[in-house]
Amino acid sequence: MNKESLTSGAPTRTRWTGAKAVVAASLAVSSIALVGLGSASVAGASSSKKITIAFVVGAEADPFFISMNAGAQAEATKLHVDLIWQGNPSQYSPSTQIPVVQQVTTQLASAKPSALVLGPTDPKALEPYVKVAVKKHIPVFNVDSQDASLKNITGFVTGNNAQGGQAAADALAGAMGYTAGKTYNVVVGMTSPTATTNVLRYDGFKAEIAKKYPGIKILAEAYSQSSPTTANTNIQNWLTEYSQSSKTPLNGIFAIDGTNAEGAASALQAGGLACSKTVCGSGHVALVGYDAYSSNVSLLSSGVFAALIAQDPYQEGIDSVFNAYTYLKTGKLPKGVSKTTTLPNVTLLPTSNSTFLAKYTYATA
Amino acid sequence: MTSNSTPLYEVRSVSKNYGNVVALRNVSMSVGAGEIVGLVGDNGAGKSTLVKILSGVYSPDSGELLVEGVPHVWKSPHEAMAAGVETLYQDSGLALDLTIGANVFLGREKVKKGFLGKLGFLDQKAMDQEAADDLERTGIAVHASKRTVGQLSGGQRQAVAIGRAVAWAQKVIILDEPTNHLGARQAGEVLSVMKAAKARGLGVIFISHTLPHVLEVTDRIIVLRLGSVVRNAPTSEFTAESLLGTITGLHVGTE
Amino acid sequence: MSIIVDPVQESSFEKPDRSQLWYRRLLANQQFLLLLVTIAIFVFFAFNRHVFASAGEFGNNVTNFCTLVLLGVGETYVIATGGIDLSVGSTVSLSGVVGAIAMEHLAMHSELLVLSVGTVVCIGIGILVGVVNSALIHYARLVPFVATLVTWGAGAGMCLVLTGGAPIGQNSGAIALTVPKIWIFSYPALIIIAITFVAGLFLHLSRFGRFTFAVGSNAFAARAVGINVKRQVTSVYVLSGALAGITGMFVYMRLGSGAPTAGTGQELIAIAAVVIGGARLTGGSARLSGTVIAAWMITIVSSGLIFMNVSPNYNQVAVALLIATAATAQALRKSARQSS
Repeated sequence: MNKESLTSGAPTRTRWTGAKAVVAASLAVSSIALVGLGSASVAGASSSKKITIAFVVGAEADPFFISMNAGAQAEATKLHVDLIWQGNPSQYSPSTQIPVVQQVTTQLASAKPSALVLGPTDPKALEPYVKVAVKKHIPVFNVDSQDASLKNITGFVTGNNAQGGQAAADALAGAMGYTAGKTYNVVVGMTSPTATTNVLRYDGFKAEIAKKYPGIKILAEAYSQSSPTTANTNIQNWLTEYSQSSKTPLNGIFAIDGTNAEGAASALQAGGLACSKTVCGSGHVALVGYDAYSSNVSLLSSGVFAALIAQDPYQEGIDSVFNAYTYLKTGKLPKGVSKTTTLPNVTLLPTSNSTFLAKYTYATA
Repeated sequence: MTSNSTPLYEVRSVSKNYGNVVALRNVSMSVGAGEIVGLVGDNGAGKSTLVKILSGVYSPDSGELLVEGVPHVWKSPHEAMAAGVETLYQDSGLALDLTIGANVFLGREKVKKGFLGKLGFLDQKAMDQEAADDLERTGIAVHASKRTVGQLSGGQRQAVAIGRAVAWAQKVIILDEPTNHLGARQAGEVLSVMKAAKARGLGVIFISHTLPHVLEVTDRIIVLRLGSVVRNAPTSEFTAESLLGTITGLHVGTE
Repeated sequence: MSIIVDPVQESSFEKPDRSQLWYRRLLANQQFLLLLVTIAIFVFFAFNRHVFASAGEFGNNVTNFCTLVLLGVGETYVIATGGIDLSVGSTVSLSGVVGAIAMEHLAMHSELLVLSVGTVVCIGIGILVGVVNSALIHYARLVPFVATLVTWGAGAGMCLVLTGGAPIGQNSGAIALTVPKIWIFSYPALIIIAITFVAGLFLHLSRFGRFTFAVGSNAFAARAVGINVKRQVTSVYVLSGALAGITGMFVYMRLGSGAPTAGTGQELIAIAAVVIGGARLTGGSARLSGTVIAAWMITIVSSGLIFMNVSPNYNQVAVALLIATAATAQALRKSARQSS
């Protein structure tokens, strides 16, 4: 828990940061336009005297947040509350998020939202604006990522990345047919050595291996810097170095996020080392990936992925709206819900039924 | 006027205004084959405007341009070049990163025969050889036509520029301040290139501030002042003093 | 009555390179030096990890080289005109994404038809970006840096809008095509290498290339001799876009899908390759052989650093060092030439 509070304060959504930075310049204008739009809808909402929940996330165009939006919207419709969904279209950065939060919290009294659900893009940078909101009697909730201190935060819903890492280790060991006493060579495709999600998942992965699978040897990590092309290059090089005829043939890959999953899957297919639905033994490299993009889910059914670990942004959206609604109505969080709700990551398998897969596949706009 | 036949290149009653400013008012002048005409005037007299009209950069508001008596309208400097009128601009007429050979043939590259030529592949060997020959013929010895112009000294660059203009000129060559920034010796060499061009039967229009050069090399001098021709007479009728007086208008020259 | 100017200059003017010794001439050649450095880097990595010298790793490097080299080729043409094209990275992504969407719609047809249509779409998108770039330069009168910054941002944004952030499609057949078939070369790699070679011939031996350099060296002089400067600049940006489109298709084939971030950051690596290759950013001077060697050098440096398990941040530092070294070498040679 101590570690969690040290690291999980930082944003957990880092996958497409590169792309986000890319569009920053050209989309600065559109983010201003969005702020304007937001204020209009806030005003409209207040006139009907309904509960209005402002939901501010990092990057709206990310499938993860699109899924979260879908969950939040569904819950809002069910509860008859108005949802104001905002975020920079693509840039995951406090410099674009702060103006949006500011706009929400500086509304006139008649137009201010009843509650704010915020997925802070930086653990520290957003805190002053949270304070302003609380001072104006707008309760603030965190979703997915959290402020450094939860002092001013009413509730926090997040995915459990460390547990996801553990689940990945279990899935990979299973796919490689782990038997005690044998040695298994594994590499890990990451985005960067410091990205918070990466660190949490990797720590969980390593802890599980240390505990249960002493025969698994992590040979190396490689970093993709949010580029699937680089991820592909990295894995390609590892496949050459730890070729099946070498002294240390590669047995498994843990691709820690969607980008690495894409790059690793294509490199394995090109190298003719990908597992199929029926065969995944010697001469094959088992692959466990993260993030349920539809393209990756389709490779799950063909067996290239032995498993995909998915987060549950849809549920995060539902829980956040429900928590805020209940708090506004009763002054308390729902019964049995503690301040921090940790939703487990789920493991998608080739054998999972299609309804289950569809439920966890990230939405696209 | 010495020539009794149709002039090689002639402007008739040309005027040009920039908004309310009159740059040229009813200017007429001509150059004949084998003749060097000096064009002089103070700053703002209209020289550069006239040069740009002659070379096809600007169109006049009114008036005519005639090459060997045939009226022409230039839509671009390239059209003037195609009609045989070459211009050497004051500066920046050469691409410094290209070789001497490439510069001489710039815009008129020779391509290889056959299929490769259709694709635009260059016959660089032929061009280098021909460039060296052309420059040689105009009195400029450049053996290293594979060097870039940027590697040459200022005088050498000017020599290449003049050589190129003279080599390509079929009828008329306009030299705008060709001796600027040159030492006395190099300037003297430029003047001898002009004489060589004259000997080849080209009409030369020489624009310069350096009056001794103008007096030395020209057959006739045209003086512009405030957009009008104030004097058009054989060079022999001028002295250094009277030419300066005519340019400045402080002294009215004797006929 | 020959014009031979000041006597000091005379000897160098009259007697070209003959006075220099052959090895001095070679060492003054940036492309040759680059080749030596590249070989040294290769030997260093190969000693550290023997697998680096294996055919398998060469094959990997050829594939990686092919995702970079055409961007470098286009950028060389653009930089030779004195321009710059920042849009190529996002054009790789955009063409791959749009191509993937088109190929998804054709999925039930034969593989060959699907990939052909995909290639045409990718090149088409690249050409479109090139046309927009030159329109912004000629009609909106933006400097190339700003014009291509606009299309860079717009392209990256379009990618996210079209994909919702996730990759599009899954094409195992396409991936299979990027596997080396002839020694270390896959078929698409051979095509890309052939295009690079032809582009080099056109840049240095054809009228198109000559006009490209003339425009970059002195646009006024080019215009004065009748070169259509606007058309030349337009062609060069369209060429750069088309080559980025081909790269987009190649990256699609590597990944088996169109990813919105497939080309992110590639524009800077391509520009780095051109600069390391000895081109001058102000235009007029560039060697395609230099760009190609530099692209290979960057490729093996990236691979080598992966093998040595070095953080990707050091990869950027390494490329930055190469740029600094190349630029310094260029400046030193220039000052040496001027003082001689």
